[in-house]
Amino acid sequence: MTRTVLVVDDSPSVRQMMANTLKGAGFVVVTAADGQEALDVCGRLRPDAVVTDQNMPRLDGIGFCRAFRTTPQNLGVPIIFLSTESEDAIKQKARAAGAIGWMIKPFDQAKLLAVINRVLGA
Amino acid sequence: MTIHPEDTDGNVDLVTFRLGGEICAVPASQLREVLEPVAMMRVPGAAEFVAGLINVRGTVVPLSDLRVPLGMPREPAGEHARIMVMDIPVSGQSCVVGILADAVHEVTRLDPEKCEQVPTVGARWPQRFVSAVGRWKGDLVTLPDLATIFEDFLDGFDGRTTLTGARRATKIQEPERA
Amino acid sequence: MTDEEPNAIFRNEAETLVETLEERLLRLEATPGDADLIDAVFRDLHTLKGSGAMFGRHDVANFLHGFETAFEAVREGRAKVNEQLIAISLAAKDHIANLLSKPGADGGDAILNQLAVYLEGTPQTPQDSRLWHLTFKLAPDTLALGGRPEAIIDDLRSLGFRDIRALLGDVPPLSKIDPERLYISWEAWIDRDIGRDEILTAFLFHEDGLELTLAPPIEEATARDLEDPKPDSTRSPANGRGGALMRVPAERLDEMMDRVGELVIAEARLREAAARIGESGLSSIVEDISRLTSGMRETTMSVRMTPISAITGRFRRLAHDLAGKLGRHFDFVIEGEKTELDKTVVERLAEPLMHIIRNAADHGLEDPSLRSAAGKPATGTIRLEARYAGAEVLISLSDDGRGLDREAIRMRAVERGLIASSATLSDEEIFGLIFEPGFSTAAEVTDLSGRGVGMDVVRRTIDELRGTVEVSSEPGYGTSVSLRLPLTLAIIDGLLVDLAGERFVLPLAAVLEIVELPAEHGHPTSRNAFLDIRDTLVPFLRLRDLLESPGEPAPFQKVIVVSSADGRVGLVVDRIIGSNQTVIKQLSPLHSGLKLFSGATILGDGGVALILDIPQLVHRGRCLAERAQEAA
Repeated sequence: MTRTVLVVDDSPSVRQMMANTLKGAGFVVVTAADGQEALDVCGRLRPDAVVTDQNMPRLDGIGFCRAFRTTPQNLGVPIIFLSTESEDAIKQKARAAGAIGWMIKPFDQAKLLAVINRVLGA
Repeated sequence: MTIHPEDTDGNVDLVTFRLGGEICAVPASQLREVLEPVAMMRVPGAAEFVAGLINVRGTVVPLSDLRVPLGMPREPAGEHARIMVMDIPVSGQSCVVGILADAVHEVTRLDPEKCEQVPTVGARWPQRFVSAVGRWKGDLVTLPDLATIFEDFLDGFDGRTTLTGARRATKIQEPERA
Repeated sequence: MTDEEPNAIFRNEAETLVETLEERLLRLEATPGDADLIDAVFRDLHTLKGSGAMFGRHDVANFLHGFETAFEAVREGRAKVNEQLIAISLAAKDHIANLLSKPGADGGDAILNQLAVYLEGTPQTPQDSRLWHLTFKLAPDTLALGGRPEAIIDDLRSLGFRDIRALLGDVPPLSKIDPERLYISWEAWIDRDIGRDEILTAFLFHEDGLELTLAPPIEEATARDLEDPKPDSTRSPANGRGGALMRVPAERLDEMMDRVGELVIAEARLREAAARIGESGLSSIVEDISRLTSGMRETTMSVRMTPISAITGRFRRLAHDLAGKLGRHFDFVIEGEKTELDKTVVERLAEPLMHIIRNAADHGLEDPSLRSAAGKPATGTIRLEARYAGAEVLISLSDDGRGLDREAIRMRAVERGLIASSATLSDEEIFGLIFEPGFSTAAEVTDLSGRGVGMDVVRRTIDELRGTVEVSSEPGYGTSVSLRLPLTLAIIDGLLVDLAGERFVLPLAAVLEIVELPAEHGHPTSRNAFLDIRDTLVPFLRLRDLLESPGEPAPFQKVIVVSSADGRVGLVVDRIIGSNQTVIKQLSPLHSGLKLFSGATILGDGGVALILDIPQLVHRGRCLAERAQEAA
């Protein structure tokens, strides 16, 4: 069964790199450039997992997370933050907003895959 | 016991009751419930003031007779006799005590302004056992000072008056504790 | 900001940490398998080390590094907690306190050496059949956040965990289930000492709200029980049979006991009501309920039972410190540590026993030179013994010291106005005086004893626990303080008796037999107060006299023979009603001065009965008899 991962990041290069990594591992990848766009995407399809940046124009990661969780169908979809921020306060906020994990940039491909596999149980 | 203002007028709710031919009153806030007379277990060796125990909804509660410290005549209970279950501060903690009454009348409101200090002469009761006197339906109402009555009891004869002989004999084993 | 400020903050923080560290170490001695406690100790050490280094206290930090290493080994299961480790750790803790007040103080190397020896001397836990027990619970919102418990379980399995089982105890009834919440926790077993960090890798992204305990094998029995599950014995309270242990807040146990008390009373009411109705179908249900109630009562009480060992760690520490302070070594022996009592009793015993130990060490034991001169071993012994005696536990604390000085006690008591100078008192009565408030036998107030809390506090606590305390002493041979305590405080098996229509309860545990009062004793004025029971003379007391019962005695009075401190004593009552599960209700302050009663209880018909205190009753009876004799 193919799974869909939504990658949200305002940096095209990061989106590109993550998309390549995940596609290489057999996932379907959808991308969005900020939280608002990600919400629009989720209106059309339900991802199996979301990897999002925190600092983005229009709607940041936590804002996206909160909005995403208000839709009942989206309960149970794991959201992982991928950010340069590493303060506990903001991690707590993300957790409260509905994120399951927080990874710190930079990351390596193997680790990203391990994490995605883990949350998707692949 | 002092009278606590319980509403904006400074009035307090009191429960009036009859005891030894007089009208008395206690704060309604301390009254838990009023019971019909129930079977009492006599406590051997206890003072007449707290001669027994009753069962109040699964709790063992001492039953006390205010007529003893107040020096009133003690007559057998009539058909209107009741037990007032009250919270009384004893040794710094609240204690549930049943208090005998010849009849319990009503909850009324008494203006503390109209309550008088206890006259020092001519009072029938020990003065320290009365916190105030007032008027209710033309009758004189006496407010017994329950806290003082019970504290005095604990300080004084400690509930062991009728076994004084045995007490003396066992003095070494049972030191008085302050 | 001056330099002093942060230093003062460090000192303050460090001192607090040192205190909690001691408390935790002593608790750990009582529950060596408590992984949470081991973690807590480790954290304390780590924090101290860190802040010591930050504040330039390298002496503290260096020492702590060694100390921490030892506990790391414990935490990772490479070393075991035992008395020896606790003893070294306590010394280490004291050294830290010492370093804090005297920077650079020495003595640390020796302790670190001991730790090192201990670590090397402890064999690595062999990979045998002993199993480590893991329990974990994930945050309740795990599922809503897309967490996958099954992935964690897979990972644990690949780490080597087996017998992974879901624990469904917290799952509410179907109608109350919130489908987004995770109610299940899990347990698993592993046959090696896996490090906590290694386990945590399985919980990636689930660390928030994770409750995880990893307990090392408790006893050899644990593993065997697991492989060969036997039906649970209801009489296996605190020793961890069956492996799966659960930690429960103490208040819940108290609450449970209260509920059982109510249940017992309700059951008695039901029984009475059923007897009135007399319908056979109902009666058989009542029988079932009765059986279940008494089973429930047994189980609840057994759950509350705690071994004395829960507090003996503190005593060892105290003995250790006392020996140091007094500058004379003595042996401190504890026997019967596994004796169990209601947890409330055990907790409340700690203070009084510490006081008695302090007294024994300080005043009881003589200097070695004096001892040798008296032909005794130079090293004194203080012995704490606990054992069962019927429905009671007997705890005695004895020393082989100089014994109590009868005359000194007497003089002090006269001085304090406790007795008249002309009073003639038995040894027992004289020794009893040391329990009087304000009485202290210490000629000089030392640092150890005589700090305002005296033996009167000991007696008050024991009284409150419905126990008794006695002292015996032999000059030159030592002193022994014996405490008798009921196994439990809340419910007893009672014998319900009738006197003039009034009902009283006697603790069944004290009852030896019941006989008919021979006709020649039937009349209350009959002088002879002895019964011939199988050729032994047993003194008897008429409860009617002691309890001032009204009216005339019933024609066929009964004698209840009870055991008391003075041997067998008969108690004469009008009628025996029967045995009764008695829920003890404390008497209010208005009646608590009446020593004849240890409490009251509510009977099935709603009436109140008083519970008789047998030792007090016998004592009172003897006093009355003596007075009668004097008068005659």
